[in-house]
Amino acid sequence: MKKQTIQITVNGEKHELDVELNALLINVLREELSLTGAKYACGNGQCGACTVLIDGESVLSCLTLAVAADGAEIVTIEGLAKPDGTLEPVQEAFLDNAAIQCGFCTPGMVIMGKELLDKNPLPTESEIREHIKGNLCRCTGYHSIVRAIKSCIK
Amino acid sequence: MVNTRILQQEFDYFTPKSAQEALSLLSKYGSEAKIIAGGTDLIAQMKLEKISPVYLINILHVPELNYIEEGNDLRIGAAAKLRDVREFCSNNKEYIALFEAVSVLGKVQVWNMGTIGGNLCNASPSADTAPALLVYKARVKLLSEKGERILDLEEFFKGVNTTAMAPDEIMTEIQIDALPEATGSAFIKVARVGADISKVTCAVAVERDGEVCVSCRIALGAVAPVPMRAHETERILSGNTIDASLVEEAGHKVAEEIKPIDDVRSTAEYRRGIADVLFRDVFWKAWRRSGGEE
Repeated sequence: MKKQTIQITVNGEKHELDVELNALLINVLREELSLTGAKYACGNGQCGACTVLIDGESVLSCLTLAVAADGAEIVTIEGLAKPDGTLEPVQEAFLDNAAIQCGFCTPGMVIMGKELLDKNPLPTESEIREHIKGNLCRCTGYHSIVRAIKSCIK
Repeated sequence: MVNTRILQQEFDYFTPKSAQEALSLLSKYGSEAKIIAGGTDLIAQMKLEKISPVYLINILHVPELNYIEEGNDLRIGAAAKLRDVREFCSNNKEYIALFEAVSVLGKVQVWNMGTIGGNLCNASPSADTAPALLVYKARVKLLSEKGERILDLEEFFKGVNTTAMAPDEIMTEIQIDALPEATGSAFIKVARVGADISKVTCAVAVERDGEVCVSCRIALGAVAPVPMRAHETERILSGNTIDASLVEEAGHKVAEEIKPIDDVRSTAEYRRGIADVLFRDVFWKAWRRSGGEE
């Protein structure tokens, strides 16, 4: 397969990578950059486990070609905490509210919570549920996740 | 074997910076090429090996295809993100049916990735924006190296995943004429859970004068090979005084007019039953809005 050079910024760090034209962003993040936070689950856009932020917007990295992300600013779950390890408020809130069970949906859920709170610091419960409706969780029943995001509202 | 972890298909990939550049690539590669924008439909279909384009032409970086302009009419670039269309319609209530349609299309990530032109060009019978655009009498502008043509959206859909577009054409714009003042519109989707593909969708736009329905347009999705207008039902209502029994009669007519199938999401019988009641709910909502009651 032909390759193309792309330049992407991931969690603030610039990378120049030779990627195959059919490489998916999720696999480049996980396998080339060892950022295994974003998860592969359904592979066809139903579950949201692969969600990352591109230029501040949530996208499904399993349906994004790596070449299509050329020039983009990407944030994965690994990029939310500060370099000294201090967690984002929404990450703390997931811990405090026991919003994590098996953890597979968590990176996507936290990214969605972060995106929502950045754009709308005072979301209603229905806006929270609407925002995470494309992220499936088989453990929590969603209540603790909604509670966690809600607890970030000051 | 299908493996959705990776994309196994091999292809060449282009990122044109102008519509002209995209068109010359299309005229060179014809039906072996496929336009890609958000990729939410296309990449999923390629993973499942439903389609195998040899060339992918990404139009997401063509600025002249990405705009929303409101003058005498509304013009939306085909590569406008669903997110931007939703945002625009939420601030312009005359397009509330389109707002309601995009709001139930997929999920936030899909609004951020997908485009309105992609939703139409994929030509799924269940494309959520289609019924809303049909009741606004939308037109689409198609461009090739030979020139441009404008089609009514109703003429654009030809069958499941099939459109009137030639292999060397791209969709560049969606156009909606200014709506008469007393128009009310609404859209409702019936699906299993929030982010699911539709079982049945319905949109209505109605122009009202007191208790008289001056004109009315009805469109449904996922109930025929293409998103469809319910013209016979429209004739029952247009020009007549509206009361509950007439709307009930119209609901029965909708159920007759559609051509649903049995599939994984619903049976044809269920779709007919639900289309009848769904239409009435959507009609009354649009009716109340046209009278300023909602």
